[in-house]
Amino acid sequence: MKIPTGKTGTPMGEPAIVIEHLYKQFGNNIVLNDFNLTLQKEENMVVLGKSGAGKSVLIKCIIGLLRPDKGKIIVGADDVTKLTHEELDRVRSKMGFLFQGNALYDSMTVRENLEFPLRRHWIDVTQKQVDDMVAEVLENVGLAQTADLMPAELSGGMQKRIALARTMILKPEIILYDEPTTGLDPVTAREIDKLILSLQEKYHTSSIIISHDMNCVKTTADRVILLLDGKCYAEGTYQELEQSADENIKQFFE
Amino acid sequence: MTTLTARIRAFFDETGNLSRFAGHFFSLGIKPRYEFRELLAQCYQIGYKSFPLVGLTGFIMGLVLTMQLRPSLVSYGVESQLPVMVGIAIVREIGPVITALIFAGKIASSIGAELGSMKVTEQIDAMDVSGTNPFKYLVATRVLACTLMLPMLTLLGDAISLFGAYIGVNIRSVTSFNLFFTQIYQSLSFGDVLPAFIKTFFFGFAVGIVGCYKGFNSSKGTRGVGISANSAVVLSSVLIFVIDLLVVQLTDVLGLN
Amino acid sequence: MANQGENNTKLGIFVMAGLFVLILTFFMIGKNKSLFGGDFVLKARFSNLNGLMEGNNVLYAGIQAGTVKNIALINDTTIEVTLAINSKVKAYIHKNALVAIGTEGLMGNKVVNIIQVKGTAVNVANGDLLSPQKTVSTEEMLQTLSKTNNNLAVISEGLKGTITRINSSTLMEVIDNKEMGENLKASLRNINKATEDASHITYGLNTLVTGIKQGKGSLGLLLTDTAFAGNLRQAGMKIRSASEQTSALTKQLNEVVDGVHQDLAYGKGPLQVLLRDSAAGSNLNKTIENLQKGTDGFNQNMEALKHNFLFKGYFKKADKKKAQLH
Repeated sequence: MKIPTGKTGTPMGEPAIVIEHLYKQFGNNIVLNDFNLTLQKEENMVVLGKSGAGKSVLIKCIIGLLRPDKGKIIVGADDVTKLTHEELDRVRSKMGFLFQGNALYDSMTVRENLEFPLRRHWIDVTQKQVDDMVAEVLENVGLAQTADLMPAELSGGMQKRIALARTMILKPEIILYDEPTTGLDPVTAREIDKLILSLQEKYHTSSIIISHDMNCVKTTADRVILLLDGKCYAEGTYQELEQSADENIKQFFE
Repeated sequence: MTTLTARIRAFFDETGNLSRFAGHFFSLGIKPRYEFRELLAQCYQIGYKSFPLVGLTGFIMGLVLTMQLRPSLVSYGVESQLPVMVGIAIVREIGPVITALIFAGKIASSIGAELGSMKVTEQIDAMDVSGTNPFKYLVATRVLACTLMLPMLTLLGDAISLFGAYIGVNIRSVTSFNLFFTQIYQSLSFGDVLPAFIKTFFFGFAVGIVGCYKGFNSSKGTRGVGISANSAVVLSSVLIFVIDLLVVQLTDVLGLN
Repeated sequence: MANQGENNTKLGIFVMAGLFVLILTFFMIGKNKSLFGGDFVLKARFSNLNGLMEGNNVLYAGIQAGTVKNIALINDTTIEVTLAINSKVKAYIHKNALVAIGTEGLMGNKVVNIIQVKGTAVNVANGDLLSPQKTVSTEEMLQTLSKTNNNLAVISEGLKGTITRINSSTLMEVIDNKEMGENLKASLRNINKATEDASHITYGLNTLVTGIKQGKGSLGLLLTDTAFAGNLRQAGMKIRSASEQTSALTKQLNEVVDGVHQDLAYGKGPLQVLLRDSAAGSNLNKTIENLQKGTDGFNQNMEALKHNFLFKGYFKKADKKKAQLH
C-alpha cells in the first residue's frame, strides 16, 4: 500500500539508483517483498523502518554485499545484481558505505585506514597523491592531527568521522549511510548530521541514509521512505510524513 | 534422537563447509590479484612473531626429552645412543607435532579471534566494499603464511630442540658438540627428514584454514568471537593429529621409513 | 611504512635461518648418504643379505666409505649389491679387497665392510666386482653357539664324572707330580714284591700244612685241626685276590696317568686347574704314605711270622730249598 503524500522526490533529471521489484528472503523470513525505489542525483533519501524491517539488507543489496533473490538494482548503467566480482568492484569505487559500527580496521592506523580504499581501487596513485587525499579528507572531518593514531585511541564520534572520511576519500557519487548517528551522544550526532550535509554539498553526492534518529532525519532528508513489510509503505518529505495520520507512520514521530 | 541426528548433520555440514572453504582457497587464492604486501605482513606476524614461543618450547622439549630418556637407555647400557634416539624422536615426530600444536594454540586462536571480530564489526564487509576481496586479502594470505611459516618454525624449532638435547646430554655426562651432531646426522636419513618436513606444510595449512574458517563464520557478538577462537584451536589441533596419522600411514606405504 | 620494511628484513632473516637449517640438514645427510658425492660404484654378490637395505653404510677399515646404492636379485641364490663409494676412500681400495655384511653394534643397522687383504693388487676401478668374505650371521652364530653349548654340557657332565672319580680315588697329586708318580710306582713295585713274598709264604705254608697233615712235626696233632687250616687258606686266598686287585688298579692308574699326561701335553681345559689342587695332592701323598706304611707293616708281619717258633722250622726248610734251588 502506498500512501500518496503529495510530491514524490525532487525532480532533478536522471536517477542515481533505480530499484525494481526487489525480493530478498532469509529462510522463511521475507525481508524485501517487491520493493521499488528511485534515488535522484544529489538527493538525500532517508529510509525509516523498525529494526529488522530490512533497511540494512536493502543498502547491502545495493552495494553488492548481499545478493537479492529477484529484482534489479541499477546503479548508473549497471545492474549490480548481475555483475561479476571485478565489475562490482568498479561500480563500488563510485559508491561509499558508512557502516553502523564504523568498521575501521583496528589493526591499522587512521592513515592506513584512509589509504586502504585508495590503494585497493586505484592501483597507480603516487604516494604524494595519496598523502594529499588523506590530508584533504581529514581536513574535511576536522581531525587532521589524528592520522597516526590507532582507531581504538579515538572517541566514538571521532571514529565515526574517520569512518566518514574513509567513505569520502574516493569521492563517491553515491553514499549509503547505515545508521550514522546511532550510539552517539546528541551533540556529536548533530555534528555528524552537519558533516553529512556539508560533504553532500561539497561533493554533490546522492545518499541513502538509514536512521531511527528523527533529528538526523529532519536535518538531512530531502525525502523520507518508510519501509514496512518489505515494501515502500510511505514516501514524502519529513514534514509530509510528520503530518500523516497513519498509525504506522505516526509512531516514528512520537 | 533428534538432537543426535541434528548433531551428526551439523558435523557433516561443518565438514562440508570447511572443505568448501578450503576449496575456495585453491580456486580463488591462485587467481590474481596477489596480496604480496599483506602476505609478507602476515608471514611476519605469524612466523617471526611466533619464533620466540616455538624456540622456548622446543628448547625445553629437547632438554626434558633427553633427561627423561636417559635412565631407560642407561639401564639398557646404550647411553651412547641417547643423541640418536632423541634426534630421531625430535626430527621425525615430536618437533613437527609439538611445534604445530603450539602454533595452533597461538595462531589459530589469533586468526579466529581477529577475523571473528572483523566479521562482527563489519570490517570484512568494509573491505569488500573497498574493492578488496576479503577472502583473498584476509584468508588466502593468512593460510599461505601459515603454510609457509610453520615449516620454517619447525626447522628452527627442531634445531633449537636438538641444542636443548645437547645440553640435556651434557648435564649428566659429557659429549662434544661435534660428536653429538655427527651421531644425529649419521642416524638420520632423508626418509626421516622429508616426510616430517612435508607434513608441516599440511599442519600449517590446517591451522590457517581452520582459523580463517572459524573466524570468517563467526556468529554475532563477542561470545561468537570467543567461540571462534576456541573452536579454531580445538579443531586445528585435532586435525594436526589426524594429518600426522595419515602421513605416518602414507610414508609407511611409500616405504620411506 | 618504514616499520613494514624493518619487519620484512626480520622476516627475511627468519626465513633464511630456516632455509639454512633445512639445507644444512640435507647437506649433512646427503654427505653421509653419498647423495651428492660422485658416482663411483663397486659391486659385490651375496647369497644372503641378512637384512641389508639401500642406504646402509659402507665401511672401509671401519671408516665411513659410502652407502649401499642398489640391491638387485640376479638369480635365486645371488643378490648383487651396488655400493656408492666416496671419492676420498676409493683410492685406497684394492681389487683383492673382500666384502662382508656386518652389523653396527650388537643390534644396529647392517653395514657392508670392505676388508683390506695383504698382498699387492691394483686399485679398484668403477663398477668392479669385489669378492665376498664368508661370514657368519648372528643367527648362524647363535645356532652354532647353541650346539656348542649342548656339546659343552655333555663334556662338562663327563668331566664332572671323571673328576669325581679322580677325586674319590685321590690320585691327583700323582698325576700332577712326577716324583709322586715315581713314588707310586716304587710303592707298587713294593706291593708287587710283597705279594710275591706273600705267595712264597703261602706256598711254604701249604707245604707246611701238608706236612703237618701228614703228621710231620711235633705239633701235628694240634695242627690237623681242619678249621685252622681252612682259615689259613682263606687268608691266603684273600691275599691273592688283593694282589690281583692291586695289579688291576695299577693298570687303571697307568691309563689315567697316561691320559692326563696327554691332556696336559695337548689340551688346556679346566682339568689342569683341577689337577693342580694342592689339597687333593697332599691327601694323595698321605694315602700313598699310608700305603707304604701298610706294605712295610705287612713285610714286618711276615718277618715276625718267620721268627715265630711255630713257623721257624718251615721257614728254615724253605730257605734251604731256596738255597738248593739257587
